[in-house]
Amino acid sequence: MAPAAAASPAAQPTPPSLSLPPSQFARLQPHAYLLAHLSPPTTSNHPSIRANGRAPTQFRVTSANTGSLTHTNGSAVVRVGETAAVCGVRAELLHTADIASWSVTQPSTGSANKRRKLVDPTLKASETAGDGDDEESSDKDESHIEDLNLLVPNLSLSTGCAPGFIPGAPPSALAQSLSQQILSLLHSTRLVRADDLRIWYQPPNLGPEDLERHNESEQMDVDAEAEGEKNREIKAFWVLYIDVMIISLAGNPFDAAWASVLAALRDTKLPKAWWDIDNETVVCSDAVSDARKLSLRGMPVASSFCVFEADAAAGWRAVILPDAEEERKIAEDNRRGAQRRWILADPDGYEEGLSQERACIVVDKEQGGNGKTVVVKMEKNGGWAIDGRELRQLVDVSSQRWDHIRQILEQC
Amino acid sequence: MADRKRINGPPSGTKPPVFASSTKASGRPQRQRQPNDLRKLFLKTGLIPSASGSAYLEFEPSASLSAARSSPQSLIPPSSALKLACTVHGPKPLPRSATFSPNLVLTTHVKYAPFAARTRKGHIRDSSERDLGVHLETALRGVIVAERWPKSGLDITITILEAEDDRWWGDTPDSHDAPWGMMNVLAGCITAASAAIADARIDCIDLVTGGVAALVSDQTAEGEASSPKLMLDTDPAEHKAILSACVVAYMPSRDEITELWLKGDSSSVSLEKGDSRSGHDALIDGAVDAARGAHTVLAEAVRESAARHSGLPVDAATT
Repeated sequence: MAPAAAASPAAQPTPPSLSLPPSQFARLQPHAYLLAHLSPPTTSNHPSIRANGRAPTQFRVTSANTGSLTHTNGSAVVRVGETAAVCGVRAELLHTADIASWSVTQPSTGSANKRRKLVDPTLKASETAGDGDDEESSDKDESHIEDLNLLVPNLSLSTGCAPGFIPGAPPSALAQSLSQQILSLLHSTRLVRADDLRIWYQPPNLGPEDLERHNESEQMDVDAEAEGEKNREIKAFWVLYIDVMIISLAGNPFDAAWASVLAALRDTKLPKAWWDIDNETVVCSDAVSDARKLSLRGMPVASSFCVFEADAAAGWRAVILPDAEEERKIAEDNRRGAQRRWILADPDGYEEGLSQERACIVVDKEQGGNGKTVVVKMEKNGGWAIDGRELRQLVDVSSQRWDHIRQILEQC
Repeated sequence: MADRKRINGPPSGTKPPVFASSTKASGRPQRQRQPNDLRKLFLKTGLIPSASGSAYLEFEPSASLSAARSSPQSLIPPSSALKLACTVHGPKPLPRSATFSPNLVLTTHVKYAPFAARTRKGHIRDSSERDLGVHLETALRGVIVAERWPKSGLDITITILEAEDDRWWGDTPDSHDAPWGMMNVLAGCITAASAAIADARIDCIDLVTGGVAALVSDQTAEGEASSPKLMLDTDPAEHKAILSACVVAYMPSRDEITELWLKGDSSSVSLEKGDSRSGHDALIDGAVDAARGAHTVLAEAVRESAARHSGLPVDAATT
């Protein structure tokens, strides 16, 4: 094959006959250029390194900054190398009266509530003492957030971040798919607790004896919580508009976008809100001391990888089944010490253009980093190179990345 | 019809939160600067490597805003400071379908981020954003030497991450009301776009900068309206009533104006004693002065960009 032949003369690091500067050569022969970096000749003592100077499993320098935007409830700027994402979270109110199906679906959940209440007295202590992560409440959580669209992430690439995206045009396929990936990851990780988004109303219990007991002090809801939870009702929800603007795109937008969403949600403060019965609306307190942060479930961190094949025509093969002949050759090469494919972490725009196969792994660690690693999402497409063994290694790399990202997010 | 290419919120729509406190405890932020004192600018070029030229511009937060940042009391920000990113793509060949053009075809695009302003902005450009784009285009068209690039296009995209307020949040809209914040945004857009064009190394006849001046009548402590004063680089949140405002795009070395946008009624305004200029003249002079002030920052940013292109060591230029 021609590309393979082209790759071998390029394997010399800088042949004296080559009068082109490296940047020109990178443009003319991108595949050969990257290959020459990754597989230096055995005679030279150059290490195998990517064209951007990183080791294969090395991520780009990441930095994060939160809370710099004035008109948001929470905001973050995350830079991963030269990719920059700005995320702003804004909370608005959704009254249950405005939800068309609310009064229809409510009785059913109400009965579920009642059923729960019958078993509750025994469970109550453990439930309130625990972190509220029990099965039943989480079921309800998901249904509210998902059914009512309480989380609205949108990612915009039409900010002039890269030449290909026309500003003003409807979102490109990439922007749409990234928005959907963020949404599905928000739902599947159950990062935001629905309980944080609910605004409850406890009607005052105006029974004669209660009236005497409570009318002088305003401690009604403290007591009432214990005795009469049955007429407590949800009056409104917070809806979080999570807007991500990719300001600069140089490969791997998903990791940067997700990190910015995570950092912005960690920064988000919701004002204290209550139902005002006289005006029949929800009002909020503007005091910062009343506002509370979201309590997120864990901290899932995304890491993306791509596979670079030494055979430039790998993308042309009809990939239906792994070619036994090909696999045998690669295995043989590996034994001889000549690597034929590389898994590159956090690919930049140049490397993304040269690879077919992608993998994205989202991991979290239990108990704030001390527990075991949990794979939250694993996605892989475009080829056969990453198999079970490699995936296991990638999960290890991702869990190291998790530690690193946690450090960055905790500092900002 | 719902936008099917984006993720939409609840179909019934949502309402911004209403705050209960009617105290407005902090009161209107006060201008701490002298009338002819400008806010500091942060301008940096070359932050977006995939673009041929780029710039990021940020205004210094006002005293009240930085106080609110360091020790937050209220969730309602007292004012806001402009933050925007500008990218230039091109010159690049025009699409095949385009008609022949002997000059560079300039396209400007200004978009607010959804979280840029006090009320949430939509994803599709509204009329004020298109308006800003047109103003920016007129400001820049006179600067670029367009004959050098026949049959080519130049795209300038500005993303506003945080915009200026049109008035103090506690004020209700009144007769003096107009989108004053837009004028500050335009001035910032012009300066940033000028830096980005220079960063893309596109030939210009001069470095154009934007400047804003306004005639304001502030109430004194006794509650009586004083005679209108000329202020440079006004933050609309800091003033009770802006009578008229003006934004110019100005080229200092040629002493030319490529864009002039004046709003409000300044003809009947009499300035302080000893100033025989008409309101119009005073406003335009003030805006030009403001643009001259921004020019020093711009020149520094362009110098830094040139040093980066020529491979010299870059020392951070912040003013």
